[in-house]
Amino acid sequence: MNCKELAYLLADYLDGTMDTGMRAELAAHIAMCEPCMAFAKTYRTTCRKAAELRDDIEYRIPDEVRDRLASFLAAAAQKFPEKMEEYRRQAEQERGEKVLAFCQAAIEGKLSSMSSLLVETHFAICPECREYFVVLRKTRPILSLPPHEILEHVTRLLESLPPGEEFFLA
Amino acid sequence: MPETRWKEDEALLEQLRKGAPGAVEELFRLYQGKIFNLAMSILRNESDAEEATQDVFMTVIRKVNTFKGNSALYSWMYRICVNTCLMRLRGKRRNDTVTIEEFMPVFTEEGMHASPMDDWSKEVERKALNEELGKMIRKFTEELSEKYRVVFVLSDIEGLSNEETAKILGMTVPAVKSRLHRARLYLREQLARYLQEGKAD
Repeated sequence: MNCKELAYLLADYLDGTMDTGMRAELAAHIAMCEPCMAFAKTYRTTCRKAAELRDDIEYRIPDEVRDRLASFLAAAAQKFPEKMEEYRRQAEQERGEKVLAFCQAAIEGKLSSMSSLLVETHFAICPECREYFVVLRKTRPILSLPPHEILEHVTRLLESLPPGEEFFLA
Repeated sequence: MPETRWKEDEALLEQLRKGAPGAVEELFRLYQGKIFNLAMSILRNESDAEEATQDVFMTVIRKVNTFKGNSALYSWMYRICVNTCLMRLRGKRRNDTVTIEEFMPVFTEEGMHASPMDDWSKEVERKALNEELGKMIRKFTEELSEKYRVVFVLSDIEGLSNEETAKILGMTVPAVKSRLHRARLYLREQLARYLQEGKAD
């Protein structure tokens, strides 16, 4: 164990996820090495201060911003009960369109590499979806939404993509 | 996250789905601060963060009846918030961040610390320093590229577990840990330099 290796293992050492043998090795190094002792202590202090000073670090919402948002939402809240059905329809329609676009991109080989990986990983454990896409490739274009269970699976795949990331190739 | 928070969320979700009076207002009361803060830490601009916050609450209202609830309300909301903010950032120039590499520890060929290491962990315990330290941590965090910033804000400032952060960001736990570690190394180094400068003055 040298200082460089120690520096890269420090997070695991401090959060307690390291196995005991390794822990002992790191502890022994730290006890003997002054720079590593200082490094480990200041690293730990950095994390602790970030949590402790949360109120100073976080951005407080300015009063006028909060008031504007509150009155906007109050108006939205008033309409909410009557709009609920409409929202549900819209959300389901959006979801349907997204699933269709995803299936289309999948059979055309236009998925992003991250999405392809997710799909392949899913196919490995879900023969139903794999089979569905095999058939889909032969019978395209896609005219209707996939059956319920497959729709759910594709939705979950879409939801597991990192936020801000599109599923298709740029 | 504490158990009570989870139970409160469940109850609120139920009320929202029924369209119960006051539910939207309660959602806003509980989450305005959290969502605005998260939006600010990604967008770093007040009017953008205001619009993003509004979008987040509207998205939650519009989708609450199709939300499956296999994740907790707060993590769903954080995810919507990150998504909304990243969409907004897209196409915008954001070259005002530092290169994290410049703040990583430096080692000799034998793998020993190449520069002297000062132990300032006691020094920063002085209460009088807290406000300033908070400001500096905020400033240094703002200078991080958003890839590291979001992870650091969720895990170390908000105090979410690595698993929760991973779920919100659609990342694996090891990827979260590795980004978080680099963000901490960066911040440790920034604080070290800042305290060193203070001494030199």
